[in-house]
Order: sequence, then structure tokens, then C-alpha cells
Amino acid sequence: MMAPEPSQNKPEQKAYIVEDDLSVGQALCDLFDSMGVSARHFGSAEKFLDAWTDAMSGCLILDVRLPGISGMELQARMIERGCQLPIIVMTAHGDIPMVRKALKAGAVEFLTKPFQDEELLAAVKQAFEQDRASRQTREVTDAIRARVASLSERERQVIEMVTTGMTNREIAAKLFLSVVTVKLYRRLAMEKMQAASLADLVKMWEKI
Amino acid sequence: MIAYMNRMAYRISCGISKYLWKPILIAGFFVLVALLWTFLLQHVIAYPFVFLFFGAIMGSAWFGGILAGIWSIVFSSILVTFFFIPPLYSFTIDRELRSYDAAFILCAIAITAISAARRRIETTARAARDELEERVRARTAELEQTNREILERERQLRLLTEAIPQQIWRANADGVIEYCNRDLLEFTGLSRGDLRGEGFFRIFHPLDEPLFRQSWNDARLASSRFEVQVRVRSAARGHRWFLVRGIPQRTASGEIDCWYGVHIDIEEQYQAEEALRAAQDDSARWARTLSMAEMAASIAHEIKQPLTALVAQAQACKRWLRAQPANTEKATNAAENLVRESMRASAVIDHVRSLFSEKEPLREATNFNRIIREALPLLRDEAVRRGVSIHLELEENLPPIEADAVQIRQLLINLAINGMDAMMEINGERMLTLRTESAGAAGAMLTVGDAGSGMSEEIRAKIFEPFFTTKSHGTGIGLSICRSIVEAHDGHIWAENLTPGTAFHVVLGSKA
Repeated sequence: MMAPEPSQNKPEQKAYIVEDDLSVGQALCDLFDSMGVSARHFGSAEKFLDAWTDAMSGCLILDVRLPGISGMELQARMIERGCQLPIIVMTAHGDIPMVRKALKAGAVEFLTKPFQDEELLAAVKQAFEQDRASRQTREVTDAIRARVASLSERERQVIEMVTTGMTNREIAAKLFLSVVTVKLYRRLAMEKMQAASLADLVKMWEKI
Repeated sequence: MIAYMNRMAYRISCGISKYLWKPILIAGFFVLVALLWTFLLQHVIAYPFVFLFFGAIMGSAWFGGILAGIWSIVFSSILVTFFFIPPLYSFTIDRELRSYDAAFILCAIAITAISAARRRIETTARAARDELEERVRARTAELEQTNREILERERQLRLLTEAIPQQIWRANADGVIEYCNRDLLEFTGLSRGDLRGEGFFRIFHPLDEPLFRQSWNDARLASSRFEVQVRVRSAARGHRWFLVRGIPQRTASGEIDCWYGVHIDIEEQYQAEEALRAAQDDSARWARTLSMAEMAASIAHEIKQPLTALVAQAQACKRWLRAQPANTEKATNAAENLVRESMRASAVIDHVRSLFSEKEPLREATNFNRIIREALPLLRDEAVRRGVSIHLELEENLPPIEADAVQIRQLLINLAINGMDAMMEINGERMLTLRTESAGAAGAMLTVGDAGSGMSEEIRAKIFEPFFTTKSHGTGIGLSICRSIVEAHDGHIWAENLTPGTAFHVVLGSKA
């Protein structure tokens, strides 16, 4: 199988803490330090959004109650921007509607302050894992998309029909081409897509 | 042509009959009668023919008109000349008697003229009288018709006031009820006699009666119409809400002659409004709970923040110490942070407490009665919603108190709502009594009494403690706030068991 492998030079995963209370932010950084997890503290949602790049991997630890943009709002804005960092929400007041809302909006875990270090560590590990997985799939689909983009118009047409299960003869009839030409396009497209077999190609097609 | 001729012939025949035959017949008849009577009487009296024939001529002229008169003169002259003027039985007249005959004819003509003229005048006068009589009769009939119509209209109007499903009354200028329509009588189940004068005011709910009197009095002073929403007692089923509209009827000089009152049943409308208000109230209450929840969340956040930092630092410290090898430098650092955070946590708690601590209350001269009157509209609304009546017993010459009016009003509202809450479950009359009285040297006393189920001694001992509540969804804060308000004013508050119910007494002094 010639499916693309995720890049091996993984960026370091970090816990990004968005917390308006400096001492809590500092204490969490210290705690992460003692756990061997690198962490970075932001004083507000705005600061985090300013600093955010797609290269930042790991997870976001978010306080619900923030001055300016609230935690919930930040969650929404991140989705808008296509930021897929898993989010751990913390609050001093964990009422059920709020938990439900946060989880529905895609939060991985919900921590009620104050929390145990094990709880935090477990949540962060889970988030990191999710981030890694989502980055991998994203890389794969990105690679496939890039390959699809390199196909010529005719090749793409032929491949599309192939993936729907049409035979060369049928494709030729539909596109008013000779069967030989269709076979040629098909071979070229398979090469460009780096697909070893028809099954491989269909799988790739499904991913995008 | 033939038809025309026929018509002409008919007309001519009519004319002949009217102007020829009829006068001739009448004249002939009278003259013959005169002739016969003359033959009969000529042996009894001398020359009877003169007055008899004059009579015949007069009669002919009278009954047959001038033509008959002329004919009768002609016949009379011929007959008299023939029969009675010598030489008898001939138409010749003796020379000496010719003047006599001429005089007879002249007299006859004069009689005919006078008689016919008299007759004409008589006929005209009679016609005029007849016409007059006819006119009078027509006019009388017309008047009678009008009169009947007016009576009918009046009757229908009365029927209308009786029949319309609206309660109507009329009162004189002094406000004494003079008339009530049937609907009002049927609704209240009272007789006209019951409603006369002062009795009328009994139809209103005791709570609304003063309002009605007040509105009417004001309207009377201002000489304007008034409108008031009151409950009217129904004979059948409790009270119903009515919109009572009073309209003054003025005389030509502009003074009030009488008052007309209309009662419009607004019970359904009122219920709908009430339901709406209840719904709004619920949402307001919901909003209040939400903001309580918000506040609780704020406080939780404020306190839990430093705790979170503390826990995190403590755990970091533990981890550094457990590490292989132990990182004492980092652990010491964490422990130092731990101490710093603890101090901060303490400061946060102080801050939260300061949010709730009351400022020194304002002291100004005020009066329980005034505060009750200010809070009354608010309490009335709530009372109506809960079916509670508010009974006021306010002492007029109440000593003033030195207090923060806003806080005392809060105190009053808390106690009143508490009292209403206590009566939610009871079936009897829900009456909340607000009483003020002088407390001698201590100042003034406010009493809020309910008719609820009361409370045991055990509960009474704890009633003012914070977070103590007997209600399923109470916070237990209300009465403890009441106590802190009273204590801040150096006053006293205590509860007393009534039979039934509970009374809360508050005594506040006039000096700080």
C-alpha cells in the first residue's frame, strides 16, 4: 500500500491555558511542569486568538468565565477559524447545562475547579491523543487532496467514474472515448494518486 | 265624436236638471202648497195669499236658490193674478189693483234676493265651520298618534335598560341611588329598596368600596366622569371584576343633574390579564433566581479560583518531591507559591464578605405609615395575585422614626411576603394585617400579622437564623435580612404566635 504516512517530524504538543487569573495560570503551568508537559499561559481569549497558528498542536485548557470573549465564545470562534485543538473546559461552577453546552460544542473534557492532578493529566493525555489522531487524518486527506489537484480534468472524470464502479467500456461510451484511451487515463491517474490497486483508490476517494 | 256628443248631452241634461227642472219643481211645490193653504184659509182670514205666497217664495229661494225663487215669483204672480186679484179667474187686473200687484212682485223679488243671499252666507259659514271641525279632528288625531309614539318609544327605552345585559344605575346629584336596572338587581340578588342610598355601596368588595367612594367623590368635586375597576358581589358566585363608569348628566346651566352608572363585566379580561401578569411574574421570578444563580456562580468563581491555584501548587509540590530524584528547589518554589496563594485566598474571601456587608444605614426622619403607603401598591398586586386581602390598622399620630426608608420598606415587604407565603396553604380567609402603633418611649411599632398556620416554639426560636427555612424552596435569608436591618437600626424584631397565625413586631426608635 502506498497510502501517505503522517510526517514524522511531529511538532511538540503543548497545553495552552487560557485563564484570566494569573496565579491560577501560573499554578497550572507549574503543575504541568512537574508532570513533564509543556504548557503556555494566555491571560485572555483575545491573546490566545492573536497568537494562534495552525502549527500549534496539543490542547486548549479554557476557563469558561473570562473577561472579554468568554470561553464558550472562544470555542465557537476557534471552530470558525478551522482550529481543531481539542478543548478542556474548566469552571468553578459546573452546572449541568453549562457542561452539556461545552461538550456539545466539542469540548473533550470538563473539569470542575479545583481538580485533582490525575484528572487533569488524564484529560490532557486524552486531548493530546485526539489532537494527534485528527492531525494525522488531516495530513492524509491533505495529501490526497493535493494529489487529486494534480490530476487533469479528463483523468479526474475517469477516476470519478471508476470509483462509482463503472467498467472501462461504460466510461468510454459515456465520454465518447475509445476504451484504449480510457485505460491510458486510468493508468496515469492511478500513478498520480499513488494508488496500488482499485481498492486503494476507492479508499482514498472516500477520505476526501 | 259620438262619445263627445253623448258626454255633451249628459252635461246638458245635468245642466237642465240643475238649473231648470230642480228650481221649477221646488218652486212649483212651494207655490202649490201656498195655493192649497190659501184656498183653505181664505174663508177664515182676509187675503191669506199674501203671506202664504211670500212664504212659498222665501222657502223656494231658501231651498232652491235664486233660480227657484225667480220661478216661484213667476208662478205666484200668475196664480195670484188668476185666482185672487179681481177680476177673479182671469189674467187681467183692475186698474186700481195694478200697483198692488207690482208691489207684491217687488216684495217677492226682495224676499227672494234676501233669502237666497242669507242662504248663501249660511251655506258658506257652515262649510267653513265644517272645514274647521275637520281640521281640528285631523290635528287631534295627529297629536294622539304622536303621543302614542312617544309613549311607545319610552316604553321600549325602558325595556332596553331593563333588558340589556349591562348593569345600569342612576343617582341624584348628591350621589343617592335612585334607579337600578334589572340586571344589576339580578346580579346582586338585592331589591331596589336594598340598593337605595348607602345600601348601594355594599355591592362592592369591602376592599374596593373605599376606592369606589374615593373615585366618585373626586369626580363629583371635579364635576367629571369617573372610571374605576372594582369587584362587585354576585348573588350566585363570589365577586366579579367590573369596570364601573360614572357619567354626570348636566342641566342646561351646567350643574350636575344626576349620575348615570354603567357596570361592565371585565372578569374574563381581568382573569386573562391576571394570567398574563402571573406568567410575567413567573418569568420575573425566574429571572431573579437566575440572577441569584449568577451571583452564586460569581462567588463560587471568586473563591474557587485561589483554591484551584492552591490545589495545583500543592500537587506540583508533591510531584517534585516524589520525582526521582526529588527536585527540592522546584518543590520549595511551589511551597512558597502555596503560602502566597493561601494569603490571596484569604483576601478574596474578605472581599466577598465585603460585597455583602451592609453600609451604615442612612438615618432620616420617617414614619411607618408613610412607608406602608409607599409599599402598598406593590403589596396589593402581590396580594391580589395570591388571593390575600390586606387589612390596615394605622395609628394616625404615630411617632416618627429615624431610619433608612428604603431598608425599612424592604423589611416591610419581606415580612409581608413572608406572611402571604404562610397563608398559601390555608383554606380560610387569607388576611394580612399591617398595624402601626405608638410604642411609648421605645418609638413606634409595626406589626405584620398573618392568618397562616402559625409555627411551633421550636421553629420560632430559629426563625431569624440565616439559612433556616420551613419553605420547600425558601432560601432562609429573608427573615435574617430583616433581623440585620432592624439591628442596624438599633431596633427590636420578634415573632408572636397568634391564634391562628403569626405576628411579627418591629419596634424602631426615633433616635439613633
